[in-house]
Amino acid sequence: MSENAVEVNNLTKVFRTGIGNQYVVAVDNLSFHVKAGEVYGLIGPNGSGKSTTMKVVLGLMAASKGEAKVFGLDSGDIRARNETGFVPENPYFYKHLTGAETLKFYGKLCGMRGKALKSRVEELLELVGLENAAKRRLGGYSKGMLQRIGLAQSLVQNPRLVILDEPTAGVDPVGSREIRDLILKLKDEGYTVFLCSHLLEQVQEVCDRVGIIFEGRMRREGPLEELIKIETQTAMTLENASPELLEKIADLIAADDSASIIETGHPKTTLERLFIQIAGKRSKESKPADEKEAS
Amino acid sequence: MSDEAITPRAPGKKVPFFSLTRVWTIATSTVTQLVRMKTFYFLLAFALLLLLVGNVSFASSPAQALSTLKKVSFGAIDLFAWLFAIVATALLIPRDIEDRTLYTILSKPVRRGEYLLGKLAGVLVVIGVSLLVMFVICSVMIIWKQAGYMADEQAGGGRPEDIQAALSLISKNGFRIELLAAVYGSFLKASVVAAVTILLSTFASSSLFTIIISILVFLVGHAHSMATDYWLRETDSSMAVQMLLKVFKIIIPNFQLFSFSEGIVAGAAVAPAVLAQMTGLTAGYLVVFLFLSLITFVDKEF
Repeated sequence: MSENAVEVNNLTKVFRTGIGNQYVVAVDNLSFHVKAGEVYGLIGPNGSGKSTTMKVVLGLMAASKGEAKVFGLDSGDIRARNETGFVPENPYFYKHLTGAETLKFYGKLCGMRGKALKSRVEELLELVGLENAAKRRLGGYSKGMLQRIGLAQSLVQNPRLVILDEPTAGVDPVGSREIRDLILKLKDEGYTVFLCSHLLEQVQEVCDRVGIIFEGRMRREGPLEELIKIETQTAMTLENASPELLEKIADLIAADDSASIIETGHPKTTLERLFIQIAGKRSKESKPADEKEAS
Repeated sequence: MSDEAITPRAPGKKVPFFSLTRVWTIATSTVTQLVRMKTFYFLLAFALLLLLVGNVSFASSPAQALSTLKKVSFGAIDLFAWLFAIVATALLIPRDIEDRTLYTILSKPVRRGEYLLGKLAGVLVVIGVSLLVMFVICSVMIIWKQAGYMADEQAGGGRPEDIQAALSLISKNGFRIELLAAVYGSFLKASVVAAVTILLSTFASSSLFTIIISILVFLVGHAHSMATDYWLRETDSSMAVQMLLKVFKIIIPNFQLFSFSEGIVAGAAVAPAVLAQMTGLTAGYLVVFLFLSLITFVDKEF
C-alpha cells in the first residue's frame, strides 16, 4: 500500500484574466495524495479549484507551479493517461454514436481491438446496465444513462485510477444510488477512485479519505471517519427500549458529574433513502402489472 | 475500509509514442460524424443540378452544350471541395472543444498531434469519396449527353466529312479520362484549404470566425501572385511593408497553382510530372500547416 495513485505537490494554477497583468489564482500551493486502492473525495464549493486540480491531474492543463503525478508519472505523460479513466460531469461524448460504438471508439483510442475489445464492451455494458440500450445513439440517452456510459468508457482500457467529476450531478436519486454502488464496486475490484464533488452526503457514503478545498487551498484532509467524528460525544441507538429503561439510563447520566444528554428522540431516515424505498416498492408493484398488460 | 481489503490493479500495457491506429480511429469517427450529419445530401443536390444543366441548355451547338455541362459540373465539384473543406473542418474541432468531447478524448492516451491528424484525415476521406461519387455522376451525365448528340448528328444526314468533323468536335468537348486529374486537382486544393482551416481552428474562438477567415485566406490565396508581385515591385514601399509581404507570400498558400484543373476541363492536356509536382507541393503545405497547428494546439488548455 506504499504506492500513491495520485500525488499533487505544491500545485499552483494561475489564470490570466482580461488585458494587462490581472490574474486569478485558481489553485494555491495545493498538496495531497491518493493512495492506490482507496476512494478519495476532493470536496469544495463551486469555484474552489476542484476541476482545475482534476484537469491538471488529467494532463488537460499544465501547472503554473508544482507538479501532479499519476502512479509516479508526470500527469502530462501519455502513459499516465493510460492508467487513468475519466468520467466528466456532463456527457462529453459524440451524440451520433451508439452506446456500444462509444465504448469501441474509446477502446480503440487505448489500443484495443478485435475480440478483446468486443468482449470488454459487452462486459462494461452489462456492468453499467446498458445492454438493452447498446444500439441506441447517445442523443437519445437520459442524463443517468449518459453518466453510466461515461463510467463504462472510463474503464474501457482497465485503468488503475478512475477520476470522476461530480459523478451524480443532475442524476435522480435512484440513478445516483446506482452510481454510488458502482463506485463501491470499483473499490472492491481494486480500482483507485478520485472524485470531486460538492454533494457532501454522497461523498460521505463512498470515500475513505476526504480533502476539503476552498479558494484553491486545502483546508482539511484525512480519513473520513476521523474528520467527521465528534470526539466528545457518544451516540447510542436502542431498539424496543421501554420508558422505564430510558428513565434508568437518564438517571444514571444525571448522576454523573461530567456527562449530559444533548439530544434524545427517534433516529430519522434521509429523504433520499425514503424516496428510494418508495420508488423501489412502486417499481416492484408495477412490474407484474406491466407484464399483464404486455401479455 | 481496511487496507487489507484492497488489491491494487496491475499497471497498463505500454503506450506507443505515435500510433496510426489512434489516428485512424479518430479519422473514422470523423467520417461517421460527417456522414451522420447528412453531409452527403449535397450529392443529391449536385445530381439535380447536372440534370438541370444537361437538359436546359441555351447552347448553339452540341459541342458548346457539352462544354458548358463540363464547366458547370466541374466548377461545382471544385466549389464543393474547398467550401466543404472549410465548413466541415471549422465545425469539427471547435465543436469538440465547445461540447468538451475533447476532454474525454485527450484524457485517453492520445497525443494532440494524432487528434489533429485524425480530424484532417477524416475530412479528406469524406471529400475524396464525395469527389469520386460526383465524378462518376458527372461522367455518366456527359457520356449520356455525348452519345445522344452523336446519335442525332449521325441521324441528321449530310456529307460524311461534315458528320465526321461534327462528331470529332463533340468528342473533343465530351468525356475524357483526363477529367479525373481535374478532380484530383480539386482534391489537392481542398486538402490545403482544410489544413489552413485546422490551423485557424486551433486558436479561433468560434466556428463562424474560422469559416470567415478561412474563406478570406482562400480568396487572398487566389490573388496571391498578382498581389505580391504588384506590391513587391513598388519601389516606394517601406522595408517593413516589403518584409510583411514576403511573410504573407510564405504563409498564404498560392491557390492559383491549383488552377491547372480548369485547363484540363477546357480541354488542355496535363503532364504526369505536373500532377506529381502538385502532389508534392500539397504534401509540403500539409506538413507545414499541421506543424503550425500542433505548435498552437499542444499547449492549449481546456
